[in-house]
Amino acid sequence: MTAAPTLSVRIREIEPLGASLKRFALEPAHGGELPTPAPGAHILLTLRDGGRVMKNAYSLVSPAAARDRYEIIVRRVAQSRGGSAFLHQQAREGDVIDIGYPVNLFPLQAKARKHLLIGGGIGITPLLSHLHLLKARGLKFEMHQLCAPEEAGVFEALLAPYGEAGEILVHGTGRARFDLAGILARQPLGTHVYTCGPRTLMEAVATTASALGWPAGKIHKESFGENSGGLPFKAMLARSGIEVEVGETQSLLEAVEAAGIDAPCLCRGGACGECKVSVLEGEVEHRDDFLSAEEKASQGAIMLCVSRARGARLVLDL
Amino acid sequence: MTDQGIKSRPRYQPLEIDPAGRHHLLVVPSEDVPSDAVAEGFAPSAFEVWTVVRKSALPPSAITEEAAGTVRAFRSPAHLFSALEERLARETMGLRLYAVGPEDFLWDVYGVGEKAGLSPQEMRFTHSGTKARRIFCVHCRAVTEKVTTSIVTCSGCGASLFVRDHFSRRLSAFMGVQVDAEAPGDVPAAEELYA
Ligand code: FES
Repeated sequence: MTAAPTLSVRIREIEPLGASLKRFALEPAHGGELPTPAPGAHILLTLRDGGRVMKNAYSLVSPAAARDRYEIIVRRVAQSRGGSAFLHQQAREGDVIDIGYPVNLFPLQAKARKHLLIGGGIGITPLLSHLHLLKARGLKFEMHQLCAPEEAGVFEALLAPYGEAGEILVHGTGRARFDLAGILARQPLGTHVYTCGPRTLMEAVATTASALGWPAGKIHKESFGENSGGLPFKAMLARSGIEVEVGETQSLLEAVEAAGIDAPCLCRGGACGECKVSVLEGEVEHRDDFLSAEEKASQGAIMLCVSRARGARLVLDL
Repeated sequence: MTDQGIKSRPRYQPLEIDPAGRHHLLVVPSEDVPSDAVAEGFAPSAFEVWTVVRKSALPPSAITEEAAGTVRAFRSPAHLFSALEERLARETMGLRLYAVGPEDFLWDVYGVGEKAGLSPQEMRFTHSGTKARRIFCVHCRAVTEKVTTSIVTCSGCGASLFVRDHFSRRLSAFMGVQVDAEAPGDVPAAEELYA
């Protein structure tokens, strides 16, 4: 696998948005302009902390038309797998880092008559870039953002610029008080729903919508693989002839990378299919949105970025 | 020139409910749902049915409830289509739209559904009745209705058109191409194919 081409960017500004959120503005390190991303696109950051290399995917929140900078919002998670803690504690304005070209797995649908956006927590980020476009084009939309009560203010501020263009609601009162079925049931024909946030929220959106008769083609999810932790296990890499230990708070992909193997990846969220590897032995606990139900049942492959072993050991064709 | 093997020719299935839908609206251009078009186990009571009676005076059916099991009659297909447009504009997600009838009717319904934002996943079509084709002349863009023969005279430019199997969903019509473009006057005999 040849490494994807990267861009070199300089951290132009770091702006704290709340207790655990920071916005990073990245500019081309050597002048010029950045490639135009599609709304909903994300970039892969390669972060180097001494000898340790971390790769994290973040959605772009800056308008697609702004080519002088990319902006991302990073949450400092309690059980950080390294990348977000590094960005929060060690990254400084002026630092130069490598990023991949923007990739879009979460596009707005051109045929939609209305766009319904449902974000949970930091899942707001790809939806912010959708909002730029929806507002600029005067398209019909409705947005619901779920969050912890103490963060409602931060999200309200982030969403304020789009409020007058459509209907936006921030729900800081928890999932129980959020009438998901009611919202989905009253959407006009031709609505597409886009959801990003914790896996449980995205699953609730998808299952509630299909129970209400929404066709699969109008339900769109963006996964973030924040649930890649779990019980520790061992992965034997048959081709490389090495065995890696996958820790509780680490993904299989991160463990493989830590062992010095450059595994293919793009979204690091179980969506793009890039990190698929054949399984020779062992049972997989599938957590991705890429493999079909049949592929998952056959246990022939695993998505390294989000899935884990169900037992103590896996043997992979890697 | 008879084997056309063209992929755009639509295929149809016997009418069957899509259990994933929440509300089911079935439209037919006739007074009843043709019984030969439905799949086994078809239950009309699961659908809200719209029919066309082709009479200027409609039978008094004061209640036009929008629920499964109700039937609403229309004067003409045009009458039905304008009500359909208005109805779809205020429908919510979960609706499934079904149509049973001749091809031109089906694809007119498709056009109305698509305009309202329905995807192919939310519509089902069953062919029934005449196989007569609506022909779109690729030369003058005129439409000739109810064509049952392999060759037809265009209602617009008078050209002898070969009736192709190429169907345009956007125009809801089959394509007609001048048959004697290279050798004027050399027109094969028309065969009755689409009765
Ligand atoms: S990197 Fe995209 S599915 Fe794993």
